[in-house]
Amino acid sequence: MTEDDADEPGRPDGGRAVVDEGGEVDEPSVGPDDAERAAADPDERGENTVAGATDEATVSTDEAAGPTAVRVRSSRLRSTNHWVGFAALVFGAAGLGALVRSRPLMLAAVVGVGYLAYANTTEAPEPELAVERRLSTEEPESGDTVEVTVVVENVGEAVLPDLRVVEQVPEALAVTDGPARAVTALRPGARMTFSYSVLARRGDYRFEGLTVIARNTSGSRERELDVETEPAAVTCLAPIDATATVPLRGLTSPYTGRVATDSSGEGTEFASLREYQHGDPLSRIDWNTYARDRTLTTMEFREERMATVVVVLDLRAEAYVQAGEDGPHAVDRGIDAARRVFNSLLDTGDRVGIAAFATEPVWLAPGAGPTHRARARELLSTHPALSPTPPEGRVYVRYTLRRLAQRLDDDAQVVFVSPMPDETSAVIARSLHVRGHAVTVVSPDPTLRDTPGHRLAAVDRSNRLNDLRGSDVRVVDWAGDERLAEALERARRRWSG
Amino acid sequence: MSGTEITRRPGRHSLVVSGIAGATATAMALVGGGGAAAVAGLGTLALLAGVRRANHRAVDAGGLIAFLGVALSALSEAPAGAVLLGTAAAVVAWDAGTNAVSLGRQLGAEADTVRAENLHAMAGAVVGLVTAVFGLVVFQIGPTRQPVTTLFVLLIAGTLLVVALNR
Repeated sequence: MTEDDADEPGRPDGGRAVVDEGGEVDEPSVGPDDAERAAADPDERGENTVAGATDEATVSTDEAAGPTAVRVRSSRLRSTNHWVGFAALVFGAAGLGALVRSRPLMLAAVVGVGYLAYANTTEAPEPELAVERRLSTEEPESGDTVEVTVVVENVGEAVLPDLRVVEQVPEALAVTDGPARAVTALRPGARMTFSYSVLARRGDYRFEGLTVIARNTSGSRERELDVETEPAAVTCLAPIDATATVPLRGLTSPYTGRVATDSSGEGTEFASLREYQHGDPLSRIDWNTYARDRTLTTMEFREERMATVVVVLDLRAEAYVQAGEDGPHAVDRGIDAARRVFNSLLDTGDRVGIAAFATEPVWLAPGAGPTHRARARELLSTHPALSPTPPEGRVYVRYTLRRLAQRLDDDAQVVFVSPMPDETSAVIARSLHVRGHAVTVVSPDPTLRDTPGHRLAAVDRSNRLNDLRGSDVRVVDWAGDERLAEALERARRRWSG
Repeated sequence: MSGTEITRRPGRHSLVVSGIAGATATAMALVGGGGAAAVAGLGTLALLAGVRRANHRAVDAGGLIAFLGVALSALSEAPAGAVLLGTAAAVVAWDAGTNAVSLGRQLGAEADTVRAENLHAMAGAVVGLVTAVFGLVVFQIGPTRQPVTTLFVLLIAGTLLVVALNR
């Protein structure tokens, strides 16, 4: 056997070897001192990093913790059926040996009996574990990788000859590097460490469970545990500076056409001249005309009004569609679009709110200002209804629609973000439109055109969008390989032309 | 969304462990003649293929055939030592193989299973060697030459006892 391979860390899979740290229990206690000194003398940081070179960041996040005991949520004992039938083989060998009077064969059966005893006389151990989970960062940016290090310590009395640990990674997070599972044997007091990386996505995630399978030495019995560990949370907020990449005119000029009203009055953009009427403010009298003709005229400007816009997200299970195997699905892209639209509208001085067709109510009343922006960022990042995985429950479209109509101001415009997967989404857009709200549909295109079925779905969707355009709803069809800004610009050109 | 997918089968190391044990069984069968060795070798290959494809049945069948090869060598008057070692090796190959398949199914090929697999295989090998040596010693230096049927009855009794103990 290649036993020397067992503990060698320099493995091709990037050093994710399971290391039995039984002899180095005092290793983490080096960490706190190190971090403390580093914090005290920032100048001497260079020295300290030699000692704690591997993960200074992880040590400083939760240094004092160490593995903490876990709570067993459920435990199941079962036979693995690993040695089933082996007894029959032993009988067979012994019988054959007796028949042909072959002593070696009888002795082989003796070996078989030895194995039977080995298999049947022990029970799966009951593991008592302490677990520590370290995250390289708790507040990553979207798209960052977060390295998760799991330390499992055997705090019981019994040796665990075959301990398999499977991390319960939050469903929406993709493991990018290293398996989130490990197996090893643990003496009492020994530890094992394994680490893996996940790709951070917008949202709030908790790591709080492990599935543990403990077998006896022969592997005939196993005990499967679902244990609850000290929770570790990752909060990934959507980027804040996304506005810069969206040319604001793209989206807002259609609105200014609508928003800068035809009624004249106060404003900045010149509209017309009219005869002076008693009570007009002096500042609006056109003194040039007065100097020329000695008649008093008053300048009129186009009145500009602040628009109220509500970004409505389509978060029904039907909207969780994806082009191909990889890449973000339509809801993810939609939420991204909603964030950009929200920020750019807020920057142009409009009042913006958020609503959604989701299993739970999502409502952020239109508002403005930095607090409002922060609140929206929080909502778009961590609201449970905006999770990257499809919802379990039903979305009551009619009810939500009625509720939304009550909440919307009469002059509020709606930006409906939906991949337009079915007729219901078109009905939503249309019913908001007939209630007198100007509706713009921003639709991330989730369709492919590689198979006849896909092509049919794509044509179906594009017909739906055309129908909407026909009923005076503005539609931004946002293709998968396109930036939102481009899609908006393309749509704007069509609207004005 | 997909990151790294789990490959639900054993890693490469599992093949090494089972392969070494299977080769040992084949070598021991060779003492009893080329035919026995061929059967044992065939069994080993079937077993390895089963491990590779995470197929429990193929591993079981391969282990059985490998043992049959060893049994054949016993019938062609191979020395007891070789037969015992071959038996233990065949059992270890099969045991390591099924263990690897279960590890592969539960943890995937990407997980590091080397240490666990080595420990499991070594525990199995130690059990086999100890019983083999024990059996051999008792048989060689035992007080009388008992008829084989007596031993047969004793074996059956032992097997039943062990199985019954577990119920």
